[in-house]
Amino acid sequence: MSDPENNVPGRWNRNKRDWGVSIWVAFLAACVGTFILFALIDPESLGSSWVAGWETSVRLTYGLGFGFIFLVALFATRLTSFMIRTGPRRGHARGKGKRRPPEVHDPADNNPDLRDEDWI
Amino acid sequence: MSAEAGAPAGESLYRKEPKVYPRDVHGRYARLRRIAVLVLLGMYYILPWINWGGHQSVLFDLPGRKFYIFGLTFWPQDFIYLALLLIAAGLTLFFFTALAGRLWCGYACPQTVWTEVFLWMEKWVEGDRNKRMKLDKAPWTANKIWRKSLKQFLWVSFALWTGFTFVGFFTPIREFGQNILAASIGPWETFWWIFYSFATYGNAGFLREQVCKYMCPYARFQSAMFDRDTLIISYDLERGEPRGGRRKTADKAELGLGDCIDCTLCVQVCPTGIDIRDGLQTECIACAACVDVCDQVMDKMGYERGLVRYTTENALEHKASRVLRPRVVIYGVLLAAILGSTLWSMTHRTPLRADLLRDRNQLYRELPDGRIENVYTLKLVNMTDAAQRYVISIPGHENLTWTVSPEPTLEAEQVGRYSFTIQAPRDFAAGSVEIDVRFEAESNPGIAVDHKTRMLMPINGGGR
Repeated sequence: MSDPENNVPGRWNRNKRDWGVSIWVAFLAACVGTFILFALIDPESLGSSWVAGWETSVRLTYGLGFGFIFLVALFATRLTSFMIRTGPRRGHARGKGKRRPPEVHDPADNNPDLRDEDWI
Repeated sequence: MSAEAGAPAGESLYRKEPKVYPRDVHGRYARLRRIAVLVLLGMYYILPWINWGGHQSVLFDLPGRKFYIFGLTFWPQDFIYLALLLIAAGLTLFFFTALAGRLWCGYACPQTVWTEVFLWMEKWVEGDRNKRMKLDKAPWTANKIWRKSLKQFLWVSFALWTGFTFVGFFTPIREFGQNILAASIGPWETFWWIFYSFATYGNAGFLREQVCKYMCPYARFQSAMFDRDTLIISYDLERGEPRGGRRKTADKAELGLGDCIDCTLCVQVCPTGIDIRDGLQTECIACAACVDVCDQVMDKMGYERGLVRYTTENALEHKASRVLRPRVVIYGVLLAAILGSTLWSMTHRTPLRADLLRDRNQLYRELPDGRIENVYTLKLVNMTDAAQRYVISIPGHENLTWTVSPEPTLEAEQVGRYSFTIQAPRDFAAGSVEIDVRFEAESNPGIAVDHKTRMLMPINGGGR
Protein backbone atom coordinates (compact mmCIF):
# COMPACT_ATOMS: atom_id res chain seq x y z
CA MET A 1 0.00 0.00 0.00
CA SER A 2 2.15 2.87 -1.19
CA ASP A 3 -0.80 5.16 -1.79
CA PRO A 4 -0.34 7.98 0.80
CA GLU A 5 -4.06 8.73 0.82
CA ASN A 6 -4.64 5.16 1.89
CA ASN A 7 -2.27 5.34 4.84
CA VAL A 8 -3.26 8.36 6.89
CA PRO A 9 -2.34 7.78 10.56
CA GLY A 10 -5.44 7.22 12.67
CA ARG A 11 -7.68 6.64 9.68
CA TRP A 12 -8.89 3.24 8.56
CA ASN A 13 -7.26 2.16 5.34
CA ARG A 14 -9.36 1.35 2.30
CA ASN A 15 -9.58 -2.36 3.05
CA LYS A 16 -10.89 -1.79 6.56
CA ARG A 17 -13.36 0.81 5.33
CA ASP A 18 -14.64 -1.60 2.67
CA TRP A 19 -15.12 -4.36 5.23
CA GLY A 20 -16.82 -2.01 7.69
CA VAL A 21 -19.26 -0.71 5.10
CA SER A 22 -19.92 -4.20 3.73
CA ILE A 23 -20.70 -5.69 7.14
CA TRP A 24 -22.88 -2.79 8.21
CA VAL A 25 -24.90 -2.76 5.00
CA ALA A 26 -25.28 -6.56 5.13
CA PHE A 27 -26.47 -6.27 8.73
CA LEU A 28 -29.09 -3.66 7.81
CA ALA A 29 -30.24 -5.78 4.87
CA ALA A 30 -30.46 -8.86 7.10
CA CYS A 31 -32.52 -6.96 9.70
CA VAL A 32 -35.00 -5.79 7.07
CA GLY A 33 -34.97 -9.19 5.34
CA THR A 34 -35.57 -11.14 8.57
CA PHE A 35 -38.35 -8.76 9.58
CA ILE A 36 -40.15 -9.17 6.26
CA LEU A 37 -39.49 -12.92 5.98
CA PHE A 38 -40.92 -13.78 9.38
CA ALA A 39 -43.79 -11.32 8.98
CA LEU A 40 -44.86 -13.47 6.05
CA ILE A 41 -43.84 -16.92 7.30
CA ASP A 42 -44.63 -18.31 10.72
CA PRO A 43 -41.30 -19.62 12.10
CA GLU A 44 -43.19 -22.21 14.13
CA SER A 45 -44.49 -23.78 10.95
CA LEU A 46 -40.89 -24.21 9.77
CA GLY A 47 -39.87 -26.05 12.90
CA SER A 48 -40.76 -29.51 11.65
CA SER A 49 -40.73 -29.02 7.89
CA TRP A 50 -37.00 -28.90 7.18
CA VAL A 51 -35.89 -31.13 4.37
CA ALA A 52 -33.34 -32.85 6.57
CA GLY A 53 -35.95 -33.66 9.20
CA TRP A 54 -34.54 -31.34 11.87
CA GLU A 55 -36.75 -30.06 14.60
CA THR A 56 -35.85 -26.51 15.52
CA SER A 57 -37.22 -24.12 18.09
CA VAL A 58 -38.72 -20.79 17.04
CA ARG A 59 -35.70 -18.87 18.37
CA LEU A 60 -33.30 -21.07 16.45
CA THR A 61 -35.37 -20.62 13.29
CA TYR A 62 -35.18 -16.82 13.73
CA GLY A 63 -31.45 -17.08 14.30
CA LEU A 64 -30.85 -19.33 11.31
CA GLY A 65 -33.00 -17.06 9.13
CA PHE A 66 -31.09 -13.95 10.16
CA GLY A 67 -27.72 -15.67 9.82
CA PHE A 68 -28.54 -16.97 6.38
CA ILE A 69 -29.78 -13.63 5.06
CA PHE A 70 -26.79 -11.86 6.63
CA LEU A 71 -24.30 -14.21 4.94
CA VAL A 72 -25.99 -13.86 1.56
CA ALA A 73 -26.11 -10.07 1.94
CA LEU A 74 -22.46 -9.99 3.08
CA PHE A 75 -21.44 -12.00 0.03
CA ALA A 76 -23.31 -9.51 -2.18
CA THR A 77 -21.80 -6.42 -0.50
CA ARG A 78 -18.25 -7.81 -0.54
CA LEU A 79 -18.56 -8.78 -4.20
CA THR A 80 -19.95 -5.34 -5.05
CA SER A 81 -17.09 -3.68 -3.20
CA PHE A 82 -14.56 -5.88 -4.99
CA MET A 83 -16.11 -5.25 -8.41
CA ILE A 84 -16.09 -1.48 -7.90
CA ARG A 85 -12.49 -1.43 -6.64
CA THR A 86 -11.12 -3.49 -9.52
CA GLY A 87 -11.70 -3.65 -13.24
CA PRO A 88 -10.73 -1.70 -16.33
CA ARG A 89 -10.47 2.08 -16.16
CA ARG A 90 -9.86 2.92 -19.76
CA GLY A 91 -11.46 6.15 -20.80
CA HIS A 92 -11.01 7.81 -17.43
CA ALA A 93 -8.50 10.60 -17.07
CA ARG A 94 -7.46 9.54 -13.58
CA GLY A 95 -6.55 6.32 -11.95
CA LYS A 96 -3.98 3.68 -12.61
CA GLY A 97 -5.12 2.43 -15.98
CA LYS A 98 -5.50 5.61 -17.97
CA ARG A 99 -5.07 3.80 -21.26
CA ARG A 100 -6.96 5.15 -24.20
CA PRO A 101 -9.09 3.12 -26.58
CA PRO A 102 -6.84 1.58 -29.23
CA GLU A 103 -6.43 3.40 -32.51
CA VAL A 104 -7.76 1.65 -35.59
CA HIS A 105 -7.42 2.47 -39.24
CA ASP A 106 -7.96 0.89 -42.63
CA PRO A 107 -5.76 -2.23 -42.76
CA ALA A 108 -4.59 -1.15 -46.18
CA ASP A 109 -3.14 2.14 -44.85
CA ASN A 110 0.61 1.74 -45.36
CA ASN A 111 -0.09 -1.88 -46.34
CA PRO A 112 -1.11 -1.65 -50.00
CA ASP A 113 -1.18 -5.43 -50.33
CA LEU A 114 -4.11 -5.66 -47.92
CA ARG A 115 -7.28 -4.70 -49.63
CA ASP A 116 -10.13 -4.23 -47.19
CA GLU A 117 -12.46 -6.64 -48.95
CA ASP A 118 -10.07 -9.46 -48.11
CA TRP A 119 -11.00 -9.17 -44.45
CA ILE A 120 -14.77 -8.96 -44.61
CA MET B 1 -13.41 17.70 -18.66
CA SER B 2 -10.36 19.84 -18.17
CA ALA B 3 -6.93 18.58 -18.99
CA GLU B 4 -4.71 17.42 -16.15
CA ALA B 5 -1.46 19.18 -15.38
CA GLY B 6 1.18 17.86 -17.67
CA ALA B 7 -1.14 17.19 -20.57
CA PRO B 8 -0.70 19.33 -23.69
CA ALA B 9 -2.80 22.48 -23.47
CA GLY B 10 -6.28 22.05 -24.83
CA GLU B 11 -6.12 18.27 -24.90
CA SER B 12 -8.57 16.43 -22.73
CA LEU B 13 -7.49 13.17 -21.19
CA TYR B 14 -11.06 11.95 -21.35
CA ARG B 15 -12.20 10.21 -24.46
CA LYS B 16 -15.54 8.66 -25.16
CA GLU B 17 -15.47 4.87 -25.30
CA PRO B 18 -16.26 4.12 -28.96
CA LYS B 19 -18.93 1.60 -29.92
CA VAL B 20 -17.39 -1.75 -30.82
CA TYR B 21 -18.21 -3.05 -34.29
CA PRO B 22 -16.46 -6.43 -34.38
CA ARG B 23 -15.26 -7.36 -37.84
CA ASP B 24 -16.22 -10.80 -39.06
CA VAL B 25 -13.43 -13.34 -38.88
CA HIS B 26 -12.69 -16.76 -40.33
CA GLY B 27 -10.28 -19.38 -39.11
CA ARG B 28 -9.97 -22.47 -36.96
CA TYR B 29 -10.89 -20.79 -33.67
CA ALA B 30 -13.85 -19.01 -35.27
CA ARG B 31 -14.98 -22.43 -36.53
CA LEU B 32 -14.59 -23.90 -33.04
CA ARG B 33 -16.63 -21.07 -31.57
CA ARG B 34 -19.32 -21.55 -34.21
CA ILE B 35 -19.48 -25.26 -33.37
CA ALA B 36 -19.66 -24.45 -29.63
CA VAL B 37 -22.50 -21.99 -30.29
CA LEU B 38 -24.45 -24.50 -32.36
CA VAL B 39 -23.95 -27.37 -29.89
CA LEU B 40 -24.70 -25.36 -26.74
CA LEU B 41 -27.65 -23.44 -28.13
CA GLY B 42 -28.87 -26.61 -29.86
CA MET B 43 -28.93 -28.34 -26.47
CA TYR B 44 -30.63 -25.37 -24.86
CA TYR B 45 -33.41 -25.10 -27.42
CA ILE B 46 -33.95 -28.81 -28.11
CA LEU B 47 -33.57 -30.55 -24.73
CA PRO B 48 -36.92 -29.42 -23.26
CA TRP B 49 -38.70 -30.96 -26.27
CA ILE B 50 -37.19 -34.42 -25.77
CA ASN B 51 -38.83 -36.84 -23.36
CA TRP B 52 -36.81 -39.27 -21.27
CA GLY B 53 -38.22 -41.89 -18.91
CA GLY B 54 -41.77 -40.57 -19.15
CA HIS B 55 -40.78 -36.98 -18.34
CA GLN B 56 -39.32 -34.01 -20.11
CA SER B 57 -35.56 -34.75 -20.34
CA VAL B 58 -34.70 -31.69 -18.24
CA LEU B 59 -37.46 -30.25 -16.09
CA PHE B 60 -37.06 -28.35 -12.83
CA ASP B 61 -40.54 -28.83 -11.41
CA LEU B 62 -40.45 -26.27 -8.60
CA PRO B 63 -44.11 -26.56 -7.47
CA GLY B 64 -43.76 -30.37 -7.39
CA ARG B 65 -40.32 -30.04 -5.70
CA LYS B 66 -38.79 -32.50 -8.15
CA PHE B 67 -36.03 -32.13 -10.73
CA TYR B 68 -36.05 -34.47 -13.73
CA ILE B 69 -32.67 -34.69 -15.41
CA PHE B 70 -32.05 -37.29 -18.13
CA GLY B 71 -34.28 -39.92 -16.61
CA LEU B 72 -33.17 -39.29 -13.02
CA THR B 73 -35.52 -37.73 -10.48
CA PHE B 74 -34.08 -35.49 -7.79
CA TRP B 75 -36.02 -34.68 -4.65
CA PRO B 76 -35.49 -31.89 -2.11
CA GLN B 77 -33.66 -34.49 -0.02
CA ASP B 78 -31.14 -34.81 -2.87
CA PHE B 79 -30.06 -31.21 -2.34
CA ILE B 80 -26.57 -32.50 -1.54
CA TYR B 81 -26.16 -33.60 -5.18
CA LEU B 82 -26.98 -30.12 -6.39
CA ALA B 83 -24.45 -28.69 -3.97
CA LEU B 84 -21.82 -31.21 -5.10
CA LEU B 85 -22.53 -30.51 -8.76
CA LEU B 86 -22.16 -26.76 -8.17
CA ILE B 87 -18.83 -27.36 -6.42
CA ALA B 88 -17.77 -29.61 -9.31
CA ALA B 89 -18.80 -26.90 -11.80
CA GLY B 90 -16.68 -24.35 -9.91
CA LEU B 91 -13.70 -26.71 -9.81
CA THR B 92 -14.09 -27.45 -13.52
CA LEU B 93 -13.86 -23.74 -14.18
CA PHE B 94 -10.73 -23.47 -11.99
CA PHE B 95 -9.18 -26.53 -13.62
CA PHE B 96 -9.67 -25.42 -17.21
CA THR B 97 -8.77 -21.81 -16.41
CA ALA B 98 -5.48 -22.89 -14.81
CA LEU B 99 -4.79 -25.13 -17.78
CA ALA B 100 -6.00 -23.15 -20.77
CA GLY B 101 -7.09 -19.69 -19.61
CA ARG B 102 -10.50 -18.29 -20.33
CA LEU B 103 -11.92 -21.12 -22.41
CA TRP B 104 -15.26 -20.58 -20.71
CA CYS B 105 -15.45 -16.92 -21.75
CA GLY B 106 -14.34 -17.48 -25.31
CA TYR B 107 -16.47 -20.47 -26.21
CA ALA B 108 -19.12 -21.44 -23.67
CA CYS B 109 -20.32 -18.44 -21.65
CA PRO B 110 -23.97 -17.64 -22.45
CA GLN B 111 -22.99 -14.00 -22.89
CA THR B 112 -20.52 -14.97 -25.64
CA VAL B 113 -22.83 -17.50 -27.21
CA TRP B 114 -25.92 -15.32 -27.45
CA THR B 115 -23.95 -12.22 -28.41
CA GLU B 116 -22.49 -14.24 -31.29
CA VAL B 117 -25.98 -15.14 -32.53
CA PHE B 118 -27.19 -11.55 -32.20
CA LEU B 119 -24.13 -10.44 -34.17
CA TRP B 120 -24.93 -12.97 -36.90
CA MET B 121 -28.41 -11.47 -37.21
CA GLU B 122 -27.01 -7.94 -37.18
CA LYS B 123 -24.51 -8.80 -39.88
CA TRP B 124 -27.15 -10.57 -41.95
CA VAL B 125 -29.45 -7.52 -41.90
CA GLU B 126 -27.04 -4.58 -41.80
CA GLY B 127 -23.99 -6.00 -43.52
CA ASP B 128 -20.33 -6.20 -42.55
CA ARG B 129 -18.48 -3.96 -40.10
CA ASN B 130 -17.97 -1.04 -42.51
CA LYS B 131 -21.58 -1.13 -43.68
CA ARG B 132 -22.83 -1.20 -40.09
CA MET B 133 -20.68 1.80 -39.18
CA LYS B 134 -21.87 3.73 -42.23
CA LEU B 135 -25.50 2.84 -41.56
CA ASP B 136 -25.26 4.08 -37.97
CA LYS B 137 -23.81 7.39 -39.12
CA ALA B 138 -26.27 7.81 -42.00
CA PRO B 139 -29.47 9.88 -41.70
CA TRP B 140 -32.75 8.05 -41.17
CA THR B 141 -33.78 7.00 -44.64
CA ALA B 142 -36.36 4.37 -45.61
CA ASN B 143 -33.55 1.85 -46.07
CA LYS B 144 -32.12 2.53 -42.60
CA ILE B 145 -35.57 2.32 -40.96
CA TRP B 146 -36.28 -0.94 -42.77
CA ARG B 147 -32.96 -2.53 -41.78
CA LYS B 148 -33.07 -1.38 -38.19
CA SER B 149 -36.69 -2.54 -37.84
CA LEU B 150 -35.94 -5.93 -39.35
CA LYS B 151 -32.96 -6.36 -37.03
CA GLN B 152 -35.06 -5.44 -34.01
CA PHE B 153 -37.80 -7.81 -35.14
CA LEU B 154 -35.31 -10.69 -35.41
CA TRP B 155 -33.67 -9.84 -32.07
CA VAL B 156 -37.00 -9.58 -30.24
CA SER B 157 -38.33 -12.80 -31.80
CA PHE B 158 -35.17 -14.70 -30.92
CA ALA B 159 -35.16 -13.26 -27.39
CA LEU B 160 -38.80 -14.26 -26.90
CA TRP B 161 -38.04 -17.78 -28.10
CA THR B 162 -35.09 -17.89 -25.68
CA GLY B 163 -37.30 -16.73 -22.80
CA PHE B 164 -39.97 -19.24 -23.76
CA THR B 165 -37.40 -22.05 -23.73
CA PHE B 166 -36.05 -20.89 -20.36
CA VAL B 167 -39.50 -21.09 -18.79
CA GLY B 168 -39.85 -24.46 -20.52
CA PHE B 169 -37.15 -25.83 -18.20
CA PHE B 170 -39.39 -25.04 -15.21
CA THR B 171 -42.83 -25.85 -16.54
CA PRO B 172 -43.67 -28.55 -19.12
CA ILE B 173 -42.78 -26.81 -22.37
CA ARG B 174 -45.52 -28.35 -24.52
CA GLU B 175 -48.17 -27.33 -22.02
CA PHE B 176 -46.63 -23.87 -21.80
CA GLY B 177 -46.65 -23.53 -25.60
CA GLN B 178 -50.29 -24.57 -25.77
CA ASN B 179 -51.15 -22.11 -23.01
CA ILE B 180 -49.47 -19.29 -24.94
CA LEU B 181 -51.40 -20.17 -28.07
CA ALA B 182 -54.61 -20.25 -26.05
CA ALA B 183 -53.62 -16.95 -24.34
CA SER B 184 -54.07 -18.56 -20.94
CA ILE B 185 -50.63 -18.43 -19.32
CA GLY B 186 -50.36 -17.56 -15.66
CA PRO B 187 -48.86 -14.32 -14.31
CA TRP B 188 -45.62 -15.90 -13.09
CA GLU B 189 -44.97 -17.71 -16.32
CA THR B 190 -45.63 -14.46 -18.19
CA PHE B 191 -43.28 -12.55 -15.89
CA TRP B 192 -40.37 -14.98 -16.27
CA TRP B 193 -40.90 -15.32 -19.99
CA ILE B 194 -40.77 -11.56 -20.52
CA PHE B 195 -38.00 -11.08 -17.94
CA TYR B 196 -35.65 -13.64 -19.48
CA SER B 197 -36.44 -12.46 -23.01
CA PHE B 198 -35.65 -8.91 -21.99
CA ALA B 199 -32.41 -10.03 -20.29
CA THR B 200 -31.32 -11.85 -23.45
CA TYR B 201 -32.21 -8.91 -25.67
CA GLY B 202 -30.47 -6.40 -23.42
CA ASN B 203 -27.34 -8.45 -22.73
CA ALA B 204 -26.71 -9.81 -26.21
CA GLY B 205 -28.10 -6.90 -28.23
CA PHE B 206 -26.87 -3.86 -26.33
CA LEU B 207 -24.66 -4.48 -23.31
CA ARG B 208 -22.44 -7.03 -25.07
CA GLU B 209 -18.78 -6.49 -24.11
CA GLN B 210 -19.76 -4.18 -21.24
CA VAL B 211 -21.02 -7.24 -19.35
CA CYS B 212 -17.60 -8.91 -19.66
CA LYS B 213 -15.65 -5.76 -18.86
CA TYR B 214 -17.62 -4.27 -16.00
CA MET B 215 -20.19 -6.74 -14.70
CA CYS B 216 -18.64 -10.21 -14.74
CA PRO B 217 -16.71 -11.17 -11.59
CA TYR B 218 -14.92 -14.07 -13.27
CA ALA B 219 -12.57 -11.76 -15.17
CA ARG B 220 -11.50 -10.18 -11.88
CA PHE B 221 -10.81 -13.51 -10.22
CA GLN B 222 -8.98 -15.10 -13.12
CA SER B 223 -5.55 -13.86 -12.04
CA ALA B 224 -5.89 -16.04 -8.95
CA MET B 225 -6.17 -19.10 -11.20
CA PHE B 226 -3.52 -18.11 -13.73
CA ASP B 227 0.17 -18.84 -13.50
CA ARG B 228 3.07 -18.48 -15.90
CA ASP B 229 2.21 -21.82 -17.55
CA THR B 230 -1.44 -21.02 -18.23
CA LEU B 231 -2.38 -20.82 -21.89
CA ILE B 232 -3.11 -17.22 -22.79
CA ILE B 233 -3.58 -15.39 -26.05
CA SER B 234 -0.57 -13.24 -26.49
CA TYR B 235 1.16 -11.04 -29.00
CA ASP B 236 4.79 -11.97 -29.56
CA LEU B 237 6.34 -8.62 -28.75
CA GLU B 238 9.85 -9.78 -29.55
CA ARG B 239 8.90 -10.91 -33.02
CA GLY B 240 6.35 -8.23 -33.85
CA GLU B 241 8.14 -5.00 -32.90
CA PRO B 242 8.92 -2.49 -34.18
CA ARG B 243 5.60 -2.56 -35.99
CA GLY B 244 4.89 -0.73 -39.20
CA GLY B 245 3.21 -0.83 -42.61
CA ARG B 246 5.06 -2.14 -45.63
CA ARG B 247 4.67 -3.80 -49.01
CA LYS B 248 4.66 -7.56 -49.14
CA THR B 249 7.81 -7.50 -51.21
CA ALA B 250 9.63 -5.13 -48.87
CA ASP B 251 12.58 -6.40 -46.85
CA LYS B 252 11.53 -5.93 -43.23
CA ALA B 253 15.10 -6.20 -41.99
CA GLU B 254 16.13 -3.40 -44.27
CA LEU B 255 13.23 -1.29 -43.02
CA GLY B 256 14.10 -2.19 -39.43
CA LEU B 257 10.63 -3.61 -38.77
CA GLY B 258 9.28 -6.66 -36.96
CA ASP B 259 6.52 -8.92 -38.26
CA CYS B 260 3.59 -6.75 -37.13
CA ILE B 261 2.39 -4.72 -40.09
CA ASP B 262 0.16 -2.57 -37.84
CA CYS B 263 -2.96 -3.29 -39.87
CA THR B 264 -5.02 -3.06 -36.61
CA LEU B 265 -7.16 -5.97 -37.75
CA CYS B 266 -6.58 -7.66 -34.38
CA VAL B 267 -8.29 -4.66 -32.78
CA GLN B 268 -11.09 -4.58 -35.34
CA VAL B 269 -12.11 -8.21 -34.81
CA CYS B 270 -11.97 -7.98 -31.01
CA PRO B 271 -15.47 -8.19 -29.52
CA THR B 272 -14.32 -6.21 -26.47
CA GLY B 273 -12.44 -3.62 -28.51
CA ILE B 274 -8.99 -4.08 -26.98
CA ASP B 275 -5.55 -4.20 -28.55
CA ILE B 276 -3.95 -7.53 -27.70
CA ARG B 277 -0.57 -5.96 -28.47
CA ASP B 278 -0.90 -4.00 -25.21
CA GLY B 279 -0.46 -7.28 -23.31
CA LEU B 280 -2.76 -9.49 -21.26
CA GLN B 281 -5.83 -7.53 -20.19
CA THR B 282 -8.82 -8.39 -18.02
CA GLU B 283 -11.08 -7.41 -20.92
CA CYS B 284 -9.69 -10.19 -23.14
CA ILE B 285 -12.26 -13.00 -23.28
CA ALA B 286 -9.86 -15.31 -25.14
CA CYS B 287 -12.13 -15.77 -28.14
CA ALA B 288 -9.00 -16.02 -30.35
CA ALA B 289 -10.50 -13.84 -33.12
CA CYS B 290 -7.22 -11.88 -33.13
CA VAL B 291 -5.29 -15.14 -33.57
CA ASP B 292 -7.37 -16.09 -36.59
CA VAL B 293 -7.15 -12.75 -38.31
CA CYS B 294 -3.45 -12.30 -37.60
CA ASP B 295 -2.75 -15.75 -39.05
CA GLN B 296 -4.63 -14.67 -42.18
CA VAL B 297 -2.52 -11.53 -42.42
CA MET B 298 0.69 -13.49 -41.87
CA ASP B 299 -0.35 -15.88 -44.66
CA LYS B 300 -1.07 -12.93 -46.92
CA MET B 301 2.32 -11.38 -46.17
CA GLY B 302 4.13 -14.68 -46.49
CA TYR B 303 5.27 -14.61 -42.84
CA GLU B 304 5.16 -17.44 -40.34
CA ARG B 305 1.85 -17.80 -38.48
CA GLY B 306 1.55 -17.27 -34.74
CA LEU B 307 2.48 -13.61 -34.18
CA VAL B 308 -0.63 -13.60 -31.99
CA ARG B 309 -1.15 -17.07 -30.59
CA TYR B 310 -2.11 -19.30 -27.71
CA THR B 311 1.01 -19.52 -25.61
CA THR B 312 2.25 -19.19 -22.03
CA GLU B 313 4.21 -16.45 -20.33
CA ASN B 314 7.07 -18.89 -19.82
CA ALA B 315 7.08 -19.88 -23.51
CA LEU B 316 7.22 -16.21 -24.51
CA GLU B 317 10.34 -15.87 -22.38
CA HIS B 318 11.83 -19.00 -23.99
CA LYS B 319 11.42 -21.00 -20.81
CA ALA B 320 9.96 -24.48 -20.59
CA SER B 321 6.20 -24.70 -20.00
CA ARG B 322 4.70 -27.39 -17.81
CA VAL B 323 1.21 -28.77 -18.16
CA LEU B 324 1.21 -30.68 -14.85
CA ARG B 325 1.63 -28.15 -12.07
CA PRO B 326 0.56 -28.41 -8.44
CA ARG B 327 -2.58 -26.29 -8.94
CA VAL B 328 -3.64 -28.28 -12.02
CA VAL B 329 -3.08 -31.56 -10.18
CA ILE B 330 -4.93 -30.36 -7.05
CA TYR B 331 -7.90 -29.03 -9.05
CA GLY B 332 -7.93 -32.22 -11.15
CA VAL B 333 -7.79 -34.59 -8.19
CA LEU B 334 -10.48 -32.67 -6.29
CA LEU B 335 -12.68 -32.58 -9.37
CA ALA B 336 -12.26 -36.29 -10.04
CA ALA B 337 -12.96 -37.11 -6.38
CA ILE B 338 -16.13 -35.02 -6.23
CA LEU B 339 -17.45 -36.21 -9.58
CA GLY B 340 -16.59 -39.83 -8.78
CA SER B 341 -18.22 -39.80 -5.35
CA THR B 342 -21.30 -37.96 -6.69
CA LEU B 343 -21.68 -40.48 -9.49
CA TRP B 344 -21.20 -43.42 -7.12
CA SER B 345 -23.63 -42.00 -4.63
CA MET B 346 -26.25 -41.25 -7.29
CA THR B 347 -26.09 -44.72 -8.78
CA HIS B 348 -26.21 -46.39 -5.35
CA ARG B 349 -28.89 -44.25 -3.71
CA THR B 350 -31.98 -45.98 -2.38
CA PRO B 351 -35.16 -44.73 -4.07
CA LEU B 352 -37.01 -44.60 -0.77
CA ARG B 353 -36.91 -41.93 1.87
CA ALA B 354 -38.32 -42.38 5.36
CA ASP B 355 -38.53 -39.76 8.10
CA LEU B 356 -39.83 -40.49 11.57
CA LEU B 357 -40.73 -37.47 13.65
CA ARG B 358 -41.60 -37.97 17.29
CA ASP B 359 -44.86 -36.50 18.59
CA ARG B 360 -43.67 -33.49 20.53
CA ASN B 361 -46.71 -33.31 22.80
CA GLN B 362 -45.93 -36.38 24.90
CA LEU B 363 -42.86 -38.51 25.58
CA TYR B 364 -44.83 -41.76 25.83
CA ARG B 365 -48.22 -42.99 26.87
CA GLU B 366 -49.36 -45.96 28.90
CA LEU B 367 -51.89 -48.29 27.28
CA PRO B 368 -54.74 -49.95 29.29
CA ASP B 369 -52.95 -53.29 29.02
CA GLY B 370 -49.85 -51.82 30.67
CA ARG B 371 -47.67 -51.51 27.59
CA ILE B 372 -45.88 -48.27 26.76
CA GLU B 373 -46.54 -46.58 23.43
CA ASN B 374 -44.55 -43.94 21.51
CA VAL B 375 -46.25 -41.89 18.81
CA TYR B 376 -44.54 -40.68 15.63
CA THR B 377 -45.37 -39.03 12.35
CA LEU B 378 -43.98 -41.09 9.48
CA LYS B 379 -43.16 -39.56 6.11
CA LEU B 380 -42.40 -41.91 3.22
CA VAL B 381 -41.21 -40.77 -0.20
CA ASN B 382 -41.47 -43.24 -3.07
CA MET B 383 -38.68 -42.12 -5.43
CA THR B 384 -39.29 -44.87 -8.00
CA ASP B 385 -41.44 -44.63 -11.12
CA ALA B 386 -43.69 -47.51 -9.98
CA ALA B 387 -46.29 -47.93 -7.23
CA GLN B 388 -44.88 -49.52 -4.04
CA ARG B 389 -46.24 -51.11 -0.89
CA TYR B 390 -43.89 -50.93 2.08
CA VAL B 391 -43.26 -53.46 4.82
CA ILE B 392 -42.14 -52.18 8.22
CA SER B 393 -40.07 -54.10 10.76
CA ILE B 394 -37.99 -53.42 13.87
CA PRO B 395 -35.07 -55.86 13.60
CA GLY B 396 -33.63 -57.16 16.86
CA HIS B 397 -36.68 -56.27 18.97
CA GLU B 398 -39.24 -59.03 18.46
CA ASN B 399 -41.19 -57.98 21.54
CA LEU B 400 -42.04 -54.58 20.02
CA THR B 401 -45.25 -54.11 18.05
CA TRP B 402 -46.31 -51.22 15.84
CA THR B 403 -49.23 -49.80 13.97
CA VAL B 404 -49.29 -47.60 10.91
CA SER B 405 -52.25 -45.77 9.50
CA PRO B 406 -53.24 -45.64 6.70
CA GLU B 407 -51.64 -48.49 4.73
CA PRO B 408 -48.12 -47.51 3.54
CA THR B 409 -48.83 -47.81 -0.17
CA LEU B 410 -47.61 -45.11 -2.53
CA GLU B 411 -48.04 -44.40 -6.21
CA ALA B 412 -44.95 -43.57 -8.30
CA GLU B 413 -43.08 -40.48 -7.06
CA GLN B 414 -45.56 -39.88 -4.28
CA VAL B 415 -45.09 -38.65 -0.73
CA GLY B 416 -47.19 -40.10 2.10
CA ARG B 417 -47.67 -39.08 5.74
CA TYR B 418 -48.76 -41.63 8.30
CA SER B 419 -49.49 -41.98 11.95
CA PHE B 420 -47.01 -44.51 13.33
CA THR B 421 -46.94 -45.96 16.86
CA ILE B 422 -44.62 -48.43 18.58
CA GLN B 423 -45.70 -50.42 21.63
CA ALA B 424 -43.30 -52.04 24.09
CA PRO B 425 -43.82 -54.23 27.15
CA ARG B 426 -43.29 -52.28 30.36
CA ASP B 427 -40.15 -54.29 31.14
CA PHE B 428 -38.63 -53.57 27.71
CA ALA B 429 -36.21 -50.99 29.08
CA ALA B 430 -35.95 -47.97 31.32
CA GLY B 431 -35.39 -44.47 29.92
CA SER B 432 -34.41 -44.08 26.31
CA VAL B 433 -33.43 -46.88 23.93
CA GLU B 434 -32.18 -46.45 20.38
CA ILE B 435 -33.95 -48.67 17.88
CA ASP B 436 -33.77 -49.17 14.12
CA VAL B 437 -36.99 -49.17 12.14
CA ARG B 438 -36.70 -50.81 8.74
CA PHE B 439 -38.83 -49.80 5.75
CA GLU B 440 -38.73 -52.13 2.77
CA ALA B 441 -40.54 -52.24 -0.58
CA GLU B 442 -42.63 -55.42 -0.73
CA SER B 443 -41.87 -56.03 -4.41
CA ASN B 444 -38.14 -55.32 -4.14
CA PRO B 445 -36.27 -56.02 -0.88
CA GLY B 446 -33.32 -54.10 -2.35
CA ILE B 447 -35.28 -50.90 -1.76
CA ALA B 448 -34.93 -50.62 1.98
CA VAL B 449 -33.86 -47.98 4.48
CA ASP B 450 -33.20 -48.16 8.21
CA HIS B 451 -34.20 -45.22 10.33
CA LYS B 452 -32.80 -44.73 13.80
CA THR B 453 -35.14 -43.41 16.44
CA ARG B 454 -35.48 -43.48 20.22
CA MET B 455 -38.05 -45.46 22.14
CA LEU B 456 -38.85 -43.57 25.33
CA MET B 457 -39.85 -45.62 28.38
CA PRO B 458 -40.54 -44.66 32.00
CA ILE B 459 -37.21 -44.12 33.81
CA ASN B 460 -38.14 -46.14 36.85
CA GLY B 461 -40.12 -48.72 34.96
CA GLY B 462 -43.31 -47.39 36.62
CA GLY B 463 -46.12 -45.20 35.30
CA ARG B 464 -45.73 -41.51 34.42
